[in-house]
Amino acid sequence: MKTQSKLFAFTLVLGGCLWSSFAFSVDGELCVVDDKQRQVCLSSPAQRIAALSPGATELAYAAGAGDQVVAVVSYSDYPPEAKQVTSVGSHTRLDMERLVSLQPDLVLAWGTGNPSEQVATLEQMGMTIYFVEPHDFEGIASSVERIGELAASRDVADRVAAEFRQGISELRERYQGAEPIRTFYQVWDSPLMSMNGTHYISKVVELCGGVNVFADAPRLIPRLSQEAVLLENPEAIVAGGMGEENAHWLEAWKAFPELQATKQNNLFFVPPSLIQRPTPRVLDGARILCDKLDLARGRR
Amino acid sequence: MAAVNTVLASVGRVQTPLWGLLLLSIVTLLFALTQGSVSLSPYQVWQAFTGESATLANTLVLELRLPRILAAFATGGLLAVAGALMQVLLRNPLAEPYVLGISGGASVAALLAILIGVSGVFLSGAAFVGAIVSTVLVFGLTQLKTAASSLRLLLTGVVIAAGWGALITLILALAPPQKLPGMLYWLMGDLAYAGSPWPAWVVLVAVCLILFPLGRSLNVLGRGALQAASLGINVKRLERGVFVLASVLTAVAVTTAGSVGFVGLVVPHLLRMVLGNDQRIILPASALAGGCLLTLADTLARTVIAPEQLPVGVITALLGVPTFLLLLHRGRL
Repeated sequence: MKTQSKLFAFTLVLGGCLWSSFAFSVDGELCVVDDKQRQVCLSSPAQRIAALSPGATELAYAAGAGDQVVAVVSYSDYPPEAKQVTSVGSHTRLDMERLVSLQPDLVLAWGTGNPSEQVATLEQMGMTIYFVEPHDFEGIASSVERIGELAASRDVADRVAAEFRQGISELRERYQGAEPIRTFYQVWDSPLMSMNGTHYISKVVELCGGVNVFADAPRLIPRLSQEAVLLENPEAIVAGGMGEENAHWLEAWKAFPELQATKQNNLFFVPPSLIQRPTPRVLDGARILCDKLDLARGRR
Repeated sequence: MAAVNTVLASVGRVQTPLWGLLLLSIVTLLFALTQGSVSLSPYQVWQAFTGESATLANTLVLELRLPRILAAFATGGLLAVAGALMQVLLRNPLAEPYVLGISGGASVAALLAILIGVSGVFLSGAAFVGAIVSTVLVFGLTQLKTAASSLRLLLTGVVIAAGWGALITLILALAPPQKLPGMLYWLMGDLAYAGSPWPAWVVLVAVCLILFPLGRSLNVLGRGALQAASLGINVKRLERGVFVLASVLTAVAVTTAGSVGFVGLVVPHLLRMVLGNDQRIILPASALAGGCLLTLADTLARTVIAPEQLPVGVITALLGVPTFLLLLHRGRL
């Protein structure tokens, strides 16, 4: 009997999954599956949300749950309202007392960013933890929807997610047949870093008809020498950086006039917060990147 | 029973400074309980222990502050006793667990554990195994020659520590960037990650009970191995036992809080200047004073720029370096 009812519940859940890929309800609770494939349930919509990474904060606001955010971490600078929310330290080291005293009913944790010991302590204290870690465009859209489900703001979340999906698919259509541009995306300058093909930033490059020259690197974030970049001879170099300015990162490549990207003046800056945080703003970053790569095509 | 009597007898003679330190420890622990990034009145803290209702203050005091403070005290005590033992064993004021490569071995093992993605008990276990492996390595290599001298032990330890240092740099260079913050904080020493404080307390109390009756032998050993042997002490057995004890102390400390530096060096030296060089006083005094120092340092780490949190190793080094230099300058070392 017990097995049967389990099977029945499973079928229901499966059916629910087919109907809507993430949200389901168990015993009248709000339930979603987070990015660690754990089932996260709330008995009532989240009223007090703690967002433990700048990206999680953006996702919560995008999902229409901004008013419920009671705790953020350092560098949570978007949207501007988030700067007024109480900070509970940095994402690598949480001020546990302050966090607990804010009594959040939903904690948006960052699996590979927050210390697992501290998150485990929060869970032991009975807090509901949702791990945010989108790995692709669909992950970003569904994160917005899932957080919207938990915060009972699906109307906003669904609209934002749909606009994001729509924007991405428009870009995909436009650049599907575009001539490929061999592109080097510079994550950092010293040590020199890029990312391989499995990283979502590489997917942004591909979306715009670019070809990530380090797509086949074995490590997710390869550390490179300048020689390796010169050998690949990319046609365009796109740099992120810290803050919204990094002119000197691109200046360095002007020392190599034989480099194709330098020769054709294809040294581009894209504000890193628009690309390096997996949030709906990636669409804005992707639009800028696509424009830059199109510019490069015109310079052939 | 005989052991307990010996303990009581040896403690009896040296009561006064130890009672003072015990009082200081209690005051330190109580002070630390009232400090935090959320301000609670002493009355609220008192209620957390006596009241029945589960208020927010109770949660903060009992589930966050108390375990962390107890972990800090025990870790400080473990490190200071380990340092005091090493200094007696090697008859060298420079000796401490970190110089001898024990924490280096623990760090390498812990970083490898972080690299393959384990945490919690497995991370602690790896650090413990690393510390023991390093100990066996240092002691084994020293024992290869029959005429093992304390200088040889120290040199072997220093060289092995350098080797661990290179491996740590290699791991940091190859590790994926998202794992670097965790690794760096671990290397700096940080009680934010400390789990249950009880293993550290059990080891600290057990080792102190083992050591008290050995105080007199250790005093003789401190003057030289030959002298000790001529007085009928089994020097080899005592040295080996002390080294193993010091390693276990270090391993448990590193397992609890990562690599916290300077406590093992500074605390025993400070105490010797004030209390003289009688191991029967220095060892228990080190446990208490080391505990006080690390508890105060961690209280600063939690509160000084809250909500941002500092690793406690930074505070102990920042307090320890000028204190040590001042003492050296005044010629008291």
